[in-house]
Amino acid sequence: MSDLRLAWRNIWRNKRRTLLTAASIFLAVFLALIVRSLQTGLFDNLIQISIQSYTGHIQIHKKGYWDDRTIDNTIVYNDSLTAVVNRLKNVEITVPRLEYFALASSGMQTKGVIIIGTDPVKEDSLTRLSSKMVKGLYLDRTGRGVIVAGGLAEFLGLHTGDTLILIGQGFHGVSAAGKFSVRGIIHLPSPPLDNQVVYMNLPTAQDFFSADNRISSLSISLKKPDDIGMTMGELTSAVNLSKFEVMSWDQLMVEIMQQLKVKTASGMIIISILYLIVGFGIFGTVIMMTNERTKEFGVMVSVGMQKSRLAMILVLEMVFIGLTGALSGLAAALPIMAWYNFHPIKLWGAMAQAYLSYGIEPLLPLALKWGFILSNFTAVMVIVLLTCIFPVRRVFKLKVVEALHK
Amino acid sequence: MNIIEIRNLSKIYDEKTVPVYALNGVDLAFKEGEFTCIVGPSGSGKTTMLNMLGGLDSPSAGGIRIGDTDITSLRSRQLIDFRLRNIGFVFQSFNLIPVLTAKENVEFIMQMQGIKKDQRDKRTMELLNAVGLADKVNTRPGKLSGGQQQRVAVARALASKPRFILADEPTANLDSKSAENLLEIMEKLNREENITFIFSTHDARVVAKARRVVTLEDGRIVADVSKN
Ligand SMILES: Nc1ncnc2c1ncn2[C@@H]1O[C@H](COP(=O)(O)OP(=O)(O)OP(=O)(O)O)[C@@H](O)[C@H]1O
Ligand SMILES: [Mg+2]
Repeated sequence: MSDLRLAWRNIWRNKRRTLLTAASIFLAVFLALIVRSLQTGLFDNLIQISIQSYTGHIQIHKKGYWDDRTIDNTIVYNDSLTAVVNRLKNVEITVPRLEYFALASSGMQTKGVIIIGTDPVKEDSLTRLSSKMVKGLYLDRTGRGVIVAGGLAEFLGLHTGDTLILIGQGFHGVSAAGKFSVRGIIHLPSPPLDNQVVYMNLPTAQDFFSADNRISSLSISLKKPDDIGMTMGELTSAVNLSKFEVMSWDQLMVEIMQQLKVKTASGMIIISILYLIVGFGIFGTVIMMTNERTKEFGVMVSVGMQKSRLAMILVLEMVFIGLTGALSGLAAALPIMAWYNFHPIKLWGAMAQAYLSYGIEPLLPLALKWGFILSNFTAVMVIVLLTCIFPVRRVFKLKVVEALHK
Repeated sequence: MNIIEIRNLSKIYDEKTVPVYALNGVDLAFKEGEFTCIVGPSGSGKTTMLNMLGGLDSPSAGGIRIGDTDITSLRSRQLIDFRLRNIGFVFQSFNLIPVLTAKENVEFIMQMQGIKKDQRDKRTMELLNAVGLADKVNTRPGKLSGGQQQRVAVARALASKPRFILADEPTANLDSKSAENLLEIMEKLNREENITFIFSTHDARVVAKARRVVTLEDGRIVADVSKN
């Protein structure tokens, strides 16, 4: 009779209580895993959307650009830079962009806008911008026609073929002004962007801002996003870091990441409360198990069982109950997580519309990551082990004669 | 040669409030092969004395020597190990581990002693045979009668090949027939295998079986009679 078997038999002395305790652990693990899987899936998806709709996985700027984002903090877009980037195997697409503010006016209306000068073809292959066109034509490589975001066009009363006047400040304080014909209207899913973005091709923007050959950012999308760490490493060692800054998507989306962290944390708090409740349940079981067996403990120590061994058996009992609950919770949640990971949930309603307007299929895959599975499992087992402090202390403090008297 | 020697043993409960002199300067010795009964009125100190002898509680004063060991000087872990290897216990009730079968309850002690499986199996069967429970080997205590449980307890107490067996009122919860049966088994083991038994009782018929009767009153020995 090994201690393991003894412990296993002991937990079935009160079947109902053991099953109830294990069931509560099962439920907590199951719910926690599903919630975390949904949340992580959703957040990963949001990040994915941001990456695909604008930032790319990595961006290169002039050193210090990201802090003030001015037209003076731009880099020269030349062969030596593209050569460095294109040499990396993991690089899929690079998109050069020149961005800055200007004033736009049409008729009586004037508004501050963001001008994004970009390579139409590369931009489209990263963000599928052309799929968001609602009127007119997408950008071409050479013409001076611009496309205007829907909300802005409405505010300025613009239609395709109208003329837009842009006034601003160019590179090194040169004044910038020009007339542009509206080639098309585009719908951008994010309202702030939809109310202020004007797209033009890169040469037109460079000409407008008197910033020949300059770009503010080079967005890079990767073939294998998971290898971003390696690619970041290669890039930072390949470029001159006293001139350039290389930022990964999580550094570029600090605000979004911050928000997601807050949401993740609030999800974790709910899960923690759930675990706390379950923890008290387990504690109750442990107290009952200990109290009703005091006399038996007395007999065992009397006839020669070391207290450490007895304590070990009690810990094993709780570990068995914990494992029964946690493993069955895992066994129930895993197939669901795996199924919806491979067959993502089809979104509907407004959510689906939002996805579609990004040019992304409205599908939400559940996340299936060992990280949170393991951490939930560990959390439960740690709780179980913490509740064991009570019986272990009891055993070590046990006075045999008093215990036998019970 | 005495296997147990008690010198000037005292136990005072609640020393700081209202002291109770459960044992008051007891001197006593036991030889190998004894079949001794401790008697006395309720509260006279029988349980207290057996607890001290078994190393389950520590005396307020005096010493207990078992073999070459002064057990009052042992530390907690050593004392538990000493009990495992030297003393067999039969308690009044709820002696056995409820989730283990009769066989496993007996075997358990030997396992803690580190005895090998084949030897354990052999001895367990011998012992259960000796207490007349060969047919209850795989039965758990819950399905045994009180008398059968006490017989398993005796088998378990013997399993470790102890120097002696202590039994505090082993028959108190048994009907007279089972009590008589248990005593017969103990007596037989004593006679045939020279196992030393020290037990307490209130039952006159049990006392009658003893070959030495020590009488306690108010924590002192008032009589010590051997019949031969
Ligand atoms: N844990 C304790 N705390 C305080 N007093 C105790 C304790 N245990 C025993 N006593 C007292 O010590 C005295 C001896 O008790 P003990 O249990 O040894 O008597 P006993 O001879 O076994 O009695 P019984 O025949 O009723 O079992 C009694 O007065 C009892 O009240
Ligand atoms: Mg007593």
